[in-house]
Amino acid sequence: MAMSPSRPPGATSDTPVQAPPLPGAPAEPHIAPLLPVEHPADAPGLVPVERRPGKALYKTLLPGVLQVPADLVLAMGRKSSLWPMTFGLACCAIEMIATYMAHYDLDRFGIVPWPSPRQSDVMIVAGTVTKKMAPAVKLLYEQMPNPKWVISMGACATNGGPYTRYDRVLQGVDKIVPVDVYVPGCPPRPEALIDALISLQEKIIEDRKVLGA
Amino acid sequence: MTAEDGTPPAGEPPAASGAPDAGAADAGAAERGADDAEPSAAQVEADYLATTIWAQVDAALSGITATPVTAEEERSVIDLVVRIPPRELVAGLRALRSSEDLRFDYLRCLTAVDLEEEGVDIVYHLYSIGGKQNVTVKCRLPADRLEVGSATAVWRAANWYEREVQEMFGVRFEGHPDPRNLLLPEEMTDVFPLRKSHPLAEIEVLQGEGIAYEEGEL
Amino acid sequence: MVTSTPEREFETQELLINMGPQHPSTHGVFRMVLGIDGELVTEVVPYIGYMHRGAEKLCETMDFRQGVGYMDRTEYLANFNAELSYVMAVEKLAGIEVPERAQWIRMILCELNRLSSHFMFTGAFGTDVGVFGTAFVYSFREREVIQDLFEEITGDRLMYAYFRPGGLGWEVPDNFEQRVQEVLLSAERGIRDMDGLLTQNEIFLARTKNVGVIDAPDAIDWGMSGPSLRASGVPMDIRRDEPYLYYPQLKFDVITGETGDVFDRYYVRLQEMRESVRIVEQCMERLRPGPILPERMPRMLRTPPGEVYVRTEAPRGEFGIYLVSQGGNRPYRLKIRSACLSNLQALRDMTIGHYVADAVIILGSIDIVLCEVDR
Repeated sequence: MAMSPSRPPGATSDTPVQAPPLPGAPAEPHIAPLLPVEHPADAPGLVPVERRPGKALYKTLLPGVLQVPADLVLAMGRKSSLWPMTFGLACCAIEMIATYMAHYDLDRFGIVPWPSPRQSDVMIVAGTVTKKMAPAVKLLYEQMPNPKWVISMGACATNGGPYTRYDRVLQGVDKIVPVDVYVPGCPPRPEALIDALISLQEKIIEDRKVLGA
Repeated sequence: MTAEDGTPPAGEPPAASGAPDAGAADAGAAERGADDAEPSAAQVEADYLATTIWAQVDAALSGITATPVTAEEERSVIDLVVRIPPRELVAGLRALRSSEDLRFDYLRCLTAVDLEEEGVDIVYHLYSIGGKQNVTVKCRLPADRLEVGSATAVWRAANWYEREVQEMFGVRFEGHPDPRNLLLPEEMTDVFPLRKSHPLAEIEVLQGEGIAYEEGEL
Repeated sequence: MVTSTPEREFETQELLINMGPQHPSTHGVFRMVLGIDGELVTEVVPYIGYMHRGAEKLCETMDFRQGVGYMDRTEYLANFNAELSYVMAVEKLAGIEVPERAQWIRMILCELNRLSSHFMFTGAFGTDVGVFGTAFVYSFREREVIQDLFEEITGDRLMYAYFRPGGLGWEVPDNFEQRVQEVLLSAERGIRDMDGLLTQNEIFLARTKNVGVIDAPDAIDWGMSGPSLRASGVPMDIRRDEPYLYYPQLKFDVITGETGDVFDRYYVRLQEMRESVRIVEQCMERLRPGPILPERMPRMLRTPPGEVYVRTEAPRGEFGIYLVSQGGNRPYRLKIRSACLSNLQALRDMTIGHYVADAVIILGSIDIVLCEVDR
């Protein structure tokens, strides 16, 4: 099962991952490590922690054989290869391109820009949506295959931003397409967009029952 | 100035060349000021015109009613502003383009200013690449008759600018080769967003379902 | 190059192809309908306005100082140049004298912004021509270096809002001079890299030479400006012809092309980047400590009635601000003269008669920013 190595088995997505304390570090009993770490019970300064009750995502049938629900496998496949449509509208598009490029490197998350709506999973609405552009945005969304997600990047896509008082501007792209993640900022920094994509990945794992196999 | 007034030649000093226009009172005042030096305002006006290229522009615009804008609250900080009435506008622009010493071959910008009940000002910013000189031509259209000739035959650059002014202010350019909307949707011909009377939009507080736009509403 | 339709051996059918408003190579939301006869373009109908969001109208409802933010968002690849036109228009109307140090810093930032904007052009244009990815990655490496400096100064990566009527928002950081030198070094490397990647690439030359030619009289008649006009051989540069800031004190060349084809429009920009490096180096020598705002600035900025048309040489051409005031603290009318709008008008003339594959690089070579076109 292809879980990330930093997340030990048994941890659900809401369990924070924390490194075990260094052996020489001073003892701080009130900040106990949250994850089960095997230590000798009489080791100085280290308190064994009980495993938190939580539902494991898989069952161990035999050593080395895991039983995983199909929706989880699908969801992990989906979340690990999000292909956003290259769809720049306004100023936010520049930051979106900057996020794809070498400095911020979205490829390491498996996120590859794709120039066609027919093969992409995510629509990043990067910029102001005007009422003249809105039918085209809606058409692009409808052309994307299911399952599909929308990130509203920046103030303009979220509610019109600085242009909200002008009547040819749509006050938020969520009036025409459903939005999964809103990113604040004018424009959002590339880090904020990466954070939005990671939030979307978490959301995909959480919504796996709804989306189905 | 009009032709029957006797057009001064191009080389005439600028102080006097702004003069012989029966229609424009301020230009007439400039001439009186040169004679008996009694109103200082006229002298100030003439001095201002002497710092501009009015003499050359005036020579180029022979036969066309053109008045320089000299009042301090109306004139431009940098460039000379010349007013031409609507019916002579295109002829005036063509004369400026084909004038010999200052060939205004470059249309920098074309726009309009909505003055509400006073009408609409159409503003042309012209530049002469050879002479490195600027002039601004203005034309006041009355509010009940927003029509003027098209300058597309003079500069092709006027094409999109005129389409924009047409949809934003409702000014009709006669003889425009392609009078469709440029920035607004093509069927939206009765809304003029840059007019002062056009309101800003209300901020819609609701988001999500319930106020989704239908097809054709956008 | 194909200038005329070759003799037909068999009947072909005319097709209409729609490109946009969402298309990876239209640099934003631009739509054009191409009439195609075989592989040849017979008609081009551009449609714009998909990004028309009323910056001019909104500025009329705002204080003079608030308008700076809309300039950033109008011309988001050359923000400082756009801000400069606007604040200069307000200063000219209100009669504000700007301190010397503020002017030098403005010049440095504007030229650096020209560098970063032209890097964006080389990246996007390289992608259009077919150097997919590589040109973009290299140019964004250089852009990030420049943007880091801008962020250190202004606090934002893209929307700086740093120029104010009267001077600058605040003083630059202490290590400004050293950082600018570092950026210049990196930019010189980037220009060299771009030169090696594109200019000396045979395929690039074969695709760009003698494509999309527009001659000087036509370019002037269409109102083109900036590098696109200079590529046609018209030496029109507002920095030299109608000097503003302290450009007359500096030595720089106005680069012109010869044929006005796609390659010239690219190469003029590349050479201009070298000139920008030269200008910044000269500015750094002349930068002295001093105030960055006039001593007495009113809390509420009001201007006397009047009007002004300020034009500056932005990376894409003439960025003009026509500002009409009737007194008070907000503009009565603000018109943004967009360089891209005029340059885009000439697209039809440039494209007709070429292969359909060249339509994309001709559009790329005039380096449009759709937010500036539609405002």
